Amino acid sequence: MKRLQLQRWSSSVLAPRARTVNRLHQHIYGQRYQSTVSPVQARDDQTAAIFEDSTTQDEQLAQIVKDSHTRRSHLQYPSPPVEAAQQSAKLAALHARLYLPSRLPVQTLARALVDQTADPNPNFNNASLATLGHDLLSYYATEHLICTYPRLPLTVIFAAMYAYAGPKTLAAMAREWGVEMATLPGGEVDPGLLQFRRVEPGSEVETGSSRSARPYEHNKLWRKTVTSKVFYDDEFGDPLKGPGMSAGGVTTEQASAEFVRAVMGAIYLHAGRAAAKRFFEQHFLSRHLNISELFNFRAPARDLTRLCARESFERPVAKVISETGRHSRHPVFVVGIFSGQDKLGEGAGASLIEARERAAVAALKGWYLYSPLNVRVPSSMEEPSALPWKPVHVDLGEVIV
Amino acid sequence: MAASLATKRPFLTLPFLLPSLSDSLALGFRRNQSSYRRTKQRLRVKPDSSFSPSTLEHDHIIHNPPSSAPNVYHTPSKFLPADDVRKASSLSSTATVNVDELPGVYKSMPERKYHLTPSDIEEIRKLRLNDPMTWSRNKLAKRFDCSPVFIAMVCQASPEKREIQARVLEAVQSRWGPKRRMAREDRQLRREAWGRDA
Repeated sequence: MKRLQLQRWSSSVLAPRARTVNRLHQHIYGQRYQSTVSPVQARDDQTAAIFEDSTTQDEQLAQIVKDSHTRRSHLQYPSPPVEAAQQSAKLAALHARLYLPSRLPVQTLARALVDQTADPNPNFNNASLATLGHDLLSYYATEHLICTYPRLPLTVIFAAMYAYAGPKTLAAMAREWGVEMATLPGGEVDPGLLQFRRVEPGSEVETGSSRSARPYEHNKLWRKTVTSKVFYDDEFGDPLKGPGMSAGGVTTEQASAEFVRAVMGAIYLHAGRAAAKRFFEQHFLSRHLNISELFNFRAPARDLTRLCARESFERPVAKVISETGRHSRHPVFVVGIFSGQDKLGEGAGASLIEARERAAVAALKGWYLYSPLNVRVPSSMEEPSALPWKPVHVDLGEVIV
Repeated sequence: MAASLATKRPFLTLPFLLPSLSDSLALGFRRNQSSYRRTKQRLRVKPDSSFSPSTLEHDHIIHNPPSSAPNVYHTPSKFLPADDVRKASSLSSTATVNVDELPGVYKSMPERKYHLTPSDIEEIRKLRLNDPMTWSRNKLAKRFDCSPVFIAMVCQASPEKREIQARVLEAVQSRWGPKRRMAREDRQLRREAWGRDA
């Protein structure tokens, strides 16, 4: 078989190689260096065309004057004007990509992209939409968690809330939605970009003055109970923060989170409760969260004993279900924890103590991760023709030792 | 003709005819006629009862899941509230083993006596407060026939004694080399990982 003569067709198929220019070519066309190449300017070409073509001179001149006027008028605002939203391809693409309801206009979506730091005017920034969206997100996430897992300890609920609707998750969502950031906010930027004033590099990020209503807030050494966090702190169990803007800027994470909250608020305002709830289910609840990984027990065996005493079950007993290699270097024990004849949990470990602790952890998780059948949340009563409300399961609460 | 050709080829150029190195190493574990029956017997494991031909008239599903840790989202039937439908179903109540026959984790479970009176507890506190060096937790536990944990639940050593104990511990730990220190820290970290199920 003959070899392919690659040289024959490589010049036509492959990318053209740099061609050395001969003297005659240089003489005729002159030499052009990169420094002398002028950038392509559409406006200049248009201006040149006006002088060549005198018939369309008036309209084109008027158009140029109008364009420059609008550009100047755009520059005098801190955020893009409302008319610019219709022209932005990015905005239309984002609207379509998120499958937002058609009742939500692109102008509102454009407003949701303007942060408080970019435009201080509350009529043009997303602060009000974000406040509404934040409340909705917290409410829907809380009712879902509490109704689905009625026995979860409060600390786990806080962690799960942070995982569902925390700022880090919202920022990740904005990134997944393909929202890009403008380098600097201004009236001339594309309204499809997220506009906010960034924190100056090297500046101290203030955590914001605490505006907690806790009466003993000044005593830093005092212990803050988990129960008091329900009253005094935010939905993630963190202390409430005042406006913590350092030198009038926000971080990318904060701005992205505000945008996602604002979208939620905008959907609620324009398309109603049902659409907002659907949006929450499709974008927030659909994110996988393994709640069993959020637990951290310090003394699981003791907690389980207290739990069984509280619920008046028989005292839990650890029994070896199976084992292998007890006298070897890598033994494996499978220990079950039984209350009476019922197995509460099972764990495997390299020592009897480890297996017993793991079994106790499994038993406690089995208790805390109980989920009723056919869970209904209170907001499902807002649907038309909803069935009569049946009270959800309410638990005694977590084990306190 | 073919046989004569094969004899012409040098034997060493055909390595696949030679026994490989791993084979010669594993020679001791090779199954011979003498050990065949023993190997066969060891491999003869009784199949699960659900594999045997069914005696039921109606069709049913054979479910033999691979051995794995139980799912924590599967709530034990004892933990189900009384109004849950799953509590009454027969699926959740499958007691296959008798718990009393299983061996315990500890050799002997300590019997709980509940024999100490409030006056005894007062005496424990007095002894520990007045002479903490003599009356340590273990000694008190031995005298009052209870566990050291119970002594710790009832009373606490005086601050001076605790300070002395902390200094003793510090002196002991100062003699540890890097290996022992790291091993102890690793053990602590592993222990904490159990609670996270990591």
